[in-house]
Amino acid sequence: MFLDLDEKEKSIIAAIDDRGVSTTYGEICGFAEEFCSLIKRRTLIFILSENSTGSLAGYIASLSGRIVPLLLSCNIDRGMLANLIAVYQPEYLWVPERYLSGFNYSLIFKKYEYILLKTGLKPFDLHDDLSLLLPTSGTTGSPKLVRHSYLNVEINARNVAASAGLVPEDRSIAILPMHFTMGLFVMNSHLVTGARVLLMQQSLTDRGFWQFIKDQKATNLSGVPYNFEVLYRLRFFRMDLPDLRLLIHGGGKLKYELFVEFAEYAGRTGKKFISGYGQTEGSSRMAFLKPEMALSKPGSIGKAITSGHLSLIDENGTEINEIEAVGEMVYRGPNVTLGYAQSGTDLAKGDENKGVLHTGDIARRDADGYYYVAGRLSRFLKLYGLRIDLDEIEHMIRSAFDMDSLCTGNDEKMIIKITDNTLKEEIHKYVIEKTGLFHTSVDVAVIEEIPRNEAGKKIY
Amino acid sequence: MNNLQLYNRVFIESFQVISDQLENLTYRSIPAWDSVGHMAMIAALEETFSIMFDPNDILDFTSYETGKQILTKYNILF
Repeated sequence: MFLDLDEKEKSIIAAIDDRGVSTTYGEICGFAEEFCSLIKRRTLIFILSENSTGSLAGYIASLSGRIVPLLLSCNIDRGMLANLIAVYQPEYLWVPERYLSGFNYSLIFKKYEYILLKTGLKPFDLHDDLSLLLPTSGTTGSPKLVRHSYLNVEINARNVAASAGLVPEDRSIAILPMHFTMGLFVMNSHLVTGARVLLMQQSLTDRGFWQFIKDQKATNLSGVPYNFEVLYRLRFFRMDLPDLRLLIHGGGKLKYELFVEFAEYAGRTGKKFISGYGQTEGSSRMAFLKPEMALSKPGSIGKAITSGHLSLIDENGTEINEIEAVGEMVYRGPNVTLGYAQSGTDLAKGDENKGVLHTGDIARRDADGYYYVAGRLSRFLKLYGLRIDLDEIEHMIRSAFDMDSLCTGNDEKMIIKITDNTLKEEIHKYVIEKTGLFHTSVDVAVIEEIPRNEAGKKIY
Repeated sequence: MNNLQLYNRVFIESFQVISDQLENLTYRSIPAWDSVGHMAMIAALEETFSIMFDPNDILDFTSYETGKQILTKYNILF
């Protein structure tokens, strides 16, 4: 079974969500059997995911029964969802029960406040190795998906568990959303360990969040830089959390000062702070810094995980042999995903990456072989841990307004440059609505003309 | 501007709402007032009134009305 869940202690709670719905390892195996007996064959299912027991159970059952899920946010814009359904033709949907009235499909089954709907659509051919699809961007609703193999998911779950030293007694807070690679692998790594996942829909700024994790005696917390900023603001260091033992950071670059603060806090209190690095295309985790090195290598993402390999290449694509160097990070390992899908027929494709991933991140390697992310080659931002593909935003604006724009930015703000003054507010509103970003993190500026080079390519 | 006007301005700018909506505004009652919006609003209030919230007050700040009571603890009176 998926992650060998049928070999875990049956009576132990595998997951409990902050509405109080829980499931044991034994129950989840029984559920998976029932779920798969209804669907019967290898097919495509969309899961409108949230951090709840029902959502997690549907995902586990699908992976166990070789049913291929695409995980989407349950808050996805319904127009975007309709578009994805049209492109990929899923035969089933697994959605929160409260959304029942929003769909015109037949209801097959219901459990853990989730419902199974049959669309009547005919699925495309699915490659034998294909296990899971994740969106490249959680926000723009782009049809571009990342294709994972069964090996990718299994090996990364085990690698994350081994690198973090997880044990069956762990109880991990899951605040990052399930459709977000890091959020999903927080869940996978704890499940493969036989530990407990605390599925949170509330966030760090909710009073109920802190009560729940105290009641549940949470031991592990994984987050993106923004989560750590909020923790710091809430004076996390002064909170009394005796059960907490492990803090895992990933999904972007934590400010240097904060990195040091958290590393020092961990050192002082006997807890562990792990800094990691990953991407959806690498099934989440690719590198991590051992907790005992956090204070001596502050700001570092460490070295490649077990069975993986990191290297640097120069502008010509040639591997740099000197130890101390700067270049684009290239990752090799069994967790490199199969490739992308942009249409239904792409689901039949096999492995296109062959275990090699050009990360698009520029990194520095120090004399001891530790890596530090220094910048980015590719055109995307990370806002609140969400990956925003700038070319997709430009494409969205072009489709909706029939005009050109120039999207740039940094990890705090996206800047959209346009030439039509009259559309400034409308475009701002449109992008906020479609991406769900906070309004101050998007700026629209009006410029004379979009700068282009002689070849007609935009100059950013 | 008096304290109430300053307070209202933070809400209007943080959540892009109009003044008629303020009275009934509570945490998560509108998409803009989510966790991220909450921290942005808190930062804007701290800057506007030159104060620093106690973490408990950040968690208890769950509506427009409660916020006013919380601010009185910091000698911001309405």
